[in-house]
Amino acid sequence: MMDFLTPVTWADALAVKADRPEAVPVAGGTDVMVELNFHRRRPAALLDLTRVPELAAWGRDGDVLRVGAGVSYTRLIEELGGLLPGLAAASRTVGSPQIRNRGTLGGNLGSASPAGDGHPPLLAAGAVVELASVRGTREVPVADFFTGPKRSVLAPDELIAAVLVAPADGPEQFAKIGTRNAMVIAVSSFALALHPGRRSVGTGIGSAAPTPRRAPEAEEFAAAHLPWDGPGPLDPDLARRFGELVSAAAAPIDDVRGTAAYRRHSLSVLARRTLTWAWEELCE
Amino acid sequence: MSASNLPDAEAGPGPVDVVLTINGRTHVVRIEPRVSLLDCLRDVVDLTGTKKGCNQGACGACTVWIDKRRVLACLTLAIACEGREITTIEGLAENGHLHPMQKAFLSHDAFQCGYCTPGQIMSAVALLAEGHTGDDAEIGEWMSGNLCRCAAYPNIRAAIREVRDGVPHATR
Amino acid sequence: MTTAIGRPIDRVDGPAKVTGAGRYSADVPLPGLVHAVVVGSRIPAGRIISIDTRAAEQANGVLAVLTHLNLPKGGSVPPLVPSLAGAAATGQTFFPMQDEVIHYAGQHVAVVVAETLEQAEHAATLLRIDYAAAPFVTTVEQGREQAYEARRIFGGFLPGRVERGDVDAGLAEAAVTVDLGYRYAANHHNPIECSATTAVWQGDRLTVYDATQGPNATLHTLAELLNVMPSHIRVVTDFVGGSFGCKAMIWDHPALAALAARHVGRPVRLALSREQMFSSVGHREQQEQQLTLGADAQGRLTAVRHHKLSPTSHFDDWAEPSLGVASQLYACPNYQGVYRLIRANTMTPTFTRCPGEASGMFALETALDELAERLGLDPLEIRLRNYAETTPGDGTPWSSKKLRECYRRGAELAGWDRRDPRVGALRDGDTLLGWGMATSAYPCYQPGNPQRARARLYADGSAVVQASISDIGTGSATAMTQVAADGLGVQLERVRFQYGDSDLPNTAAAVGSAGAGMVSAAVHVATTALRDQLIAQALADPGSPLHGADPRQVTVAEGRMALRERPDVGETYAALLQRAFMADAEAVGTWNPPPDTSGGSMTFGAQFAQVAVDPDLGLVRVRRLIGVFDAGRILNRKTAHSQLMGGMIWGMSHALLEGTRMGPDGRWANASLGEYLVPVNADAPEVVVETVESTDTVVNPLGVKGVGEVGMVGTAAAIANAIHHATGKRLHRLPITIEDLL
Repeated sequence: MMDFLTPVTWADALAVKADRPEAVPVAGGTDVMVELNFHRRRPAALLDLTRVPELAAWGRDGDVLRVGAGVSYTRLIEELGGLLPGLAAASRTVGSPQIRNRGTLGGNLGSASPAGDGHPPLLAAGAVVELASVRGTREVPVADFFTGPKRSVLAPDELIAAVLVAPADGPEQFAKIGTRNAMVIAVSSFALALHPGRRSVGTGIGSAAPTPRRAPEAEEFAAAHLPWDGPGPLDPDLARRFGELVSAAAAPIDDVRGTAAYRRHSLSVLARRTLTWAWEELCE
Repeated sequence: MSASNLPDAEAGPGPVDVVLTINGRTHVVRIEPRVSLLDCLRDVVDLTGTKKGCNQGACGACTVWIDKRRVLACLTLAIACEGREITTIEGLAENGHLHPMQKAFLSHDAFQCGYCTPGQIMSAVALLAEGHTGDDAEIGEWMSGNLCRCAAYPNIRAAIREVRDGVPHATR
Repeated sequence: MTTAIGRPIDRVDGPAKVTGAGRYSADVPLPGLVHAVVVGSRIPAGRIISIDTRAAEQANGVLAVLTHLNLPKGGSVPPLVPSLAGAAATGQTFFPMQDEVIHYAGQHVAVVVAETLEQAEHAATLLRIDYAAAPFVTTVEQGREQAYEARRIFGGFLPGRVERGDVDAGLAEAAVTVDLGYRYAANHHNPIECSATTAVWQGDRLTVYDATQGPNATLHTLAELLNVMPSHIRVVTDFVGGSFGCKAMIWDHPALAALAARHVGRPVRLALSREQMFSSVGHREQQEQQLTLGADAQGRLTAVRHHKLSPTSHFDDWAEPSLGVASQLYACPNYQGVYRLIRANTMTPTFTRCPGEASGMFALETALDELAERLGLDPLEIRLRNYAETTPGDGTPWSSKKLRECYRRGAELAGWDRRDPRVGALRDGDTLLGWGMATSAYPCYQPGNPQRARARLYADGSAVVQASISDIGTGSATAMTQVAADGLGVQLERVRFQYGDSDLPNTAAAVGSAGAGMVSAAVHVATTALRDQLIAQALADPGSPLHGADPRQVTVAEGRMALRERPDVGETYAALLQRAFMADAEAVGTWNPPPDTSGGSMTFGAQFAQVAVDPDLGLVRVRRLIGVFDAGRILNRKTAHSQLMGGMIWGMSHALLEGTRMGPDGRWANASLGEYLVPVNADAPEVVVETVESTDTVVNPLGVKGVGEVGMVGTAAAIANAIHHATGKRLHRLPITIEDLL
């Protein structure tokens, strides 16, 4: 008999998770259900988080947005497109509209897939994951959250509560390579955020390393060399160099979707293009 | 790790009573908690219009609405739908009158084998409500969660355009 | 007189499909129904050392666990004969669970039956199976050294080697030659409906609801596998959720469902999972082709040498006939085609939409493009210079051929005369554009047995017309309704076509684009026979206004017989029957197909593709596909166009997406719809489909040449040629990958 646990408050949810750390949390179900349908796992308990109102809420918390882990991709597109355009753009490429109606930001993080479309823009935006348990709450930068393919720092008694992220203060871009035009797992993806106020650049690489990751050297290079003072056309060599540095930050493998060489190459192109587009947007 | 190695594999499933509202009717079903809404609809409630194509969210044949939003029944636990309003293809026609989208699929030949069609239509009607029907490219993108192996895609787009514009297709 | 045939009427089975009311084979509700799941071998070669079924047998709801140790023995495995022959049509001459030997990964080794699907699936995970693995070969690369020339292929229907003229001499005299190697990934059909069978016994009689292209093929195959009289089996196929060849032959799961149902004494449903669809119902084999063309300075072919190498199973010599159409399309005196096979640890490959024509014509039509470039000829011009006015083999006339008209109209639609032939000349910003074209052709295969239909007219003037054929989405039920209405001379609304049931008059399986032609022939013969019978009755009836008239002067329209010259003289069928106190009248029609005409009778087409290539990323997007076809008589313009359009998008998918990869463990590595990519809506471009007027008096009574596959034939080559036009890259591998274009 598999237990189906349905807390209706956040406190109850944490208490249940503390009591039954083996319980598998389910929000949208888009990852967990595949495991169940294919009988790959037979958890002793499922922890249904869809009835916890706090998880489905988002709002401002000082300078940052606090986006509940249970906010669906559809709502990220519809409600947060203006504040978090990079995340919204990436959300639009997640699975299908049906999956986006159910799949959640927190669920995506919890699965910790290297190919998760939502991860690169969170990395680029410098987002922080809020983890909670009955022991308390801790904040982990997204860049430190992932520890390996489908692995994260999440403890057995913890749940993902929210993502804390500053609203975009400059252009954000997301680009993804897929074999099909839609409903496709990324061969590679790249997210970029420009912060003209503090003259910094954020990056996020998807599907090209054991975990989603940033490209710190590329970020430093772009921050140092972008013509922040006199916005104008971007030097193509600068964009190309940025692409090379992003590509160098990747650690891809060959798999059924693409080769490591193609992933490296495509990242250099995506990074070059997104930087060019973002700069044009900034100059408009 | 294969399922057979799990320590609790011997435990086996056990059924519980679940109350579901489907197409405006209340059903009390006795199911194992891990049963998907798809298997519940098909095997327990005998609403077989919702189809199984992949059981992993890759084909869209099982598209239904929960609280008016299109979702995949294979990726939804039936037990999690208590208190929600479930709508399937069988609930789309009202009083025996086909929904305009059903009529448009017929007149535009927006299907061949018909197996993906209930999912396509549930998706298409939801798409209209979502408002992503500006042009063919947008319709194509937002209908890409529903595979049609017969590849009636251009005709599906035409049917959706027709309902969007409210202009019935003249059968020659 | 034609009133219904050709009209673009809506599908007669459409309302059931758009409302979800249509019951497919896994949807049939039966009291006491239980569920069976099959379990496949993890290893591709070796044997089972032991199966521990105890945990599974003790799990909740489990009724039976069948393995090679306890599967009830049945009959024998019939020979492999394509289902168009109309006989038993096993997909491979191997039936599983007879002993412990494993021949391929996924080979069915157990069947678990339980009260619910969930219980059966769970119990299946509790089986403990120990294997002793053996060395295996599953790919061309692994088996190249042991290849052999096939004596016969395709169920013995085709020779392994075909020659005419002297190909070496033809190459020696050529002014220019191309010699190209092609590689193709394996493909899987992946209809959205997975194969499923629901089986129920009543005493010694078996009823099977089966997703099949041929209810009779299922019936005859089950009769032999189960050793049950055909008279005691009924196969019902109301709806089929697509097939594309994987339901054209009969695999082992219907028999396993029937055996399980007999074993547990309950109706059993056995539905394959998506993953099992990759290792239970055949596939298009991985293959290599070597194609050498020679041409004179004017571009006229002097020689075609075409060799194919592909893996088959350990039981059957099967290769899709990739060399057939490519050997028959152009006027070339010297030809050599050879099939070489490799014994591999896979299932026997099977029909997959455009079986052979798609792969063989991809080679020929891209090679011809290359030849044209070498000679400085327009791609369309080189095809016209090699236009075969008669069949290249023996020079007999074609049954019909309007390919020239297809070229002309297709070129017009594509604006071909405005095409700048220079590579890379067309651009849209940084995107490279390319236009390509190719010829399509698909043989008109004939069934091997007589095709029958029954027509019954009731005294109110309504009619039922019956044939056993299933409608797998082709629109045959709709088209046959139209054929029946015209044959009888009654309104469409008054005719019901009943189909999908082996109890109805015999037809072969709807395969090889032959369904519409052969069944329309039977329906036409039956309905016109009934019409003539009723006319004769009227002429003999002193109470009829037509008494004593010349039968050749009588026509029928809207259910009323009348004199051609004096339409006021006549009466309705209804009046005639009611006066005679007849509740109905009936006739059975039999159409005896001509000997196989596939060498001299083909569906033709001209295909054009417009593509956009992102050269930095190697991404190809097809912007527009144009196809103009000579498919003989079109029975329903709407459904025929859907078939052709679907075929063209399949061709695009063949070109750019589809490939099943074999893993190092000898199992298919991407056996899911998440990883075996087929097109989504956003991939499907604008598709322009037209047909040209074409009359064929040879193939069948109505001159129907078929539309199921020809749309796919030339598409991949047209796309590859367009990509060359955009990028200068010649592509000899399918699917074309992004890496190929960097």
